[in-house]
Amino acid sequence: MHIVVCLKQIIDPEIPPHVFQIDPVEKKQIRGRQALLISDFDAIALEVALQLKEKVDGKVTAITIGAADAVEALHTALAMGADETVLISDPVFEEIDSFGKAHILAAALHKLGQFDGVLCGRQAGDVELGLVGPFLAEMTGLPCVTLAANMEPENGKMRFRRPIEGGYEILETTTPFLATITNDESNVARYASVRGIRKAMRTEIPTWSAADLALDPAEIGLETAQIEMEELFVPEREIRCEFIAGESGPEKAQQLALRLRELKLL
Amino acid sequence: MTNILTFCTASAQELPRTALEILAAGRQLGDKLGNGKVQAALIGPDVEEHGETLVHHGADEVFVASHPRLQDHEADVILGTLQTVVQQLGPDVVLFPHDALSGGNVGPRLAYRLGTGIVTDCVGFEIKGDTIRWLRPVYGGKAMAYMVASGPVQLATMRSRAFEPLPPDSARQGAVHTLEIDVGAISSPVSLVERTQEKMEGISLDQAQIIVSGGRGMEDKEGFSALERLAQVLGAAVGGSRPAADLGWVPHSQLVGQTGKIVAPNLYIAVAISGAPQHMAGAGSSKTIVAINKDEDAPIFKVAHVGVVDEWQNIIPALTAACEEMLSD
Repeated sequence: MHIVVCLKQIIDPEIPPHVFQIDPVEKKQIRGRQALLISDFDAIALEVALQLKEKVDGKVTAITIGAADAVEALHTALAMGADETVLISDPVFEEIDSFGKAHILAAALHKLGQFDGVLCGRQAGDVELGLVGPFLAEMTGLPCVTLAANMEPENGKMRFRRPIEGGYEILETTTPFLATITNDESNVARYASVRGIRKAMRTEIPTWSAADLALDPAEIGLETAQIEMEELFVPEREIRCEFIAGESGPEKAQQLALRLRELKLL
Repeated sequence: MTNILTFCTASAQELPRTALEILAAGRQLGDKLGNGKVQAALIGPDVEEHGETLVHHGADEVFVASHPRLQDHEADVILGTLQTVVQQLGPDVVLFPHDALSGGNVGPRLAYRLGTGIVTDCVGFEIKGDTIRWLRPVYGGKAMAYMVASGPVQLATMRSRAFEPLPPDSARQGAVHTLEIDVGAISSPVSLVERTQEKMEGISLDQAQIIVSGGRGMEDKEGFSALERLAQVLGAAVGGSRPAADLGWVPHSQLVGQTGKIVAPNLYIAVAISGAPQHMAGAGSSKTIVAINKDEDAPIFKVAHVGVVDEWQNIIPALTAACEEMLSD
């Protein structure tokens, strides 16, 4: 069983708002001294693939589109337990939209050849559009399961557990498939140890360029992006917290209840 | 003339609130564009009778696709049906609710099939020249972006509670048409084997006007019982931060945050929650945020409107009692 996981490396999304900075001209976040990480849901997708590998014999390949420093995400993926990784990197990939990314990933899947399934996180933790997975499914013609939390082979097919309001669904499809992954209790991503990452840094990671993937830059929509960020800004938030005073807990609680009533919230 | 198509799925028993929210969004967009006609695509089994409700809430025309096979709301079947509806009607804009079905599956896949752009999880829009600029949060709500989609038709999914349904006007007139679509012929490579769904006790996070949420500082599952009692008195839903969900104190389905539910109630009471960016991405759009935390330097007080610095044990039981008394008056 060979599962391919598509990862995106992003700037640590857990940084507090006061160190969060954007470049309004480039329309992107400024990294500063912040760490780069595998985007949350993508790490969870890798976790789901690794859990499957532990149940049935298999192989997990992690791939990412990014600049040279995205290799760090792949070191982390190896340390978590991925068997193989590929960095897809080319200066012409800089300004692509979600269609372009799906196009590149489709070419990479084609080059990888044989696989039984592709996993993508539900959405990236930066721009959060959540489009690449469903686009990639359409582009490759693979059956598309969305927002699944884990999977298990069943009679030559794959079964997915998908959390829904108040319960879950079991969905089934043939292989190969594409699934987008969301989180639940079963798939909290494992940590990569620092030692594991150091060891992984000695692994040679193959890099594929546009030429390696036989991609024509005109074809991947560099000139014709259909989804474009026109403006990025940090909204002004002038909130001054009104603190409820009181001698004791119960007194503060009473004052809070009264204040909420005054504000017509209760 | 701009035709705006709003898309909703329903069951015979229930028309979701989000169907009315996107109608309100469609109406507002149509009015901003000056000459917009708002059409509603209503998809589901035996849903004809919701047609009139959609007209009363702002639709100029309703197109119903009803078929028993739509019973289970399988994504591939809905997608195939909607694709046919869009091809028949040729709208300029299609609006979806940003839910698991539309935002996570049908919307993006339809965009791909139509070779057109889509912007997901929008909270608003503006018109500049003849371009619609879709407003959406990015970077976990720390920034906002105006995005533009290009192509033969514009698709956008709208965040729940970003638009309030219009008050029903029973004098509004509009035609309800039935579409003939061969739903039986749509293939679904993904099959639904089983669906287990318990009727939720109490109010769901999506529907709640008040949410009481707890964080790591609740210390254990017992702490959440105190929050549940407060929620019961207030008619509120109970949520939790990611640490609380990962520790099993609240189910993951009740997780509020970037990796959980994004909510926007009138009142959000954050108890023993530090206010990490991951959490505020889910709770930050609440109209009023009340924070109760023992640490006066907790980041939650930077975003809260009303704050109480104290151990939750000193506040929550007393607050429950005070609210109970107040609300029984």
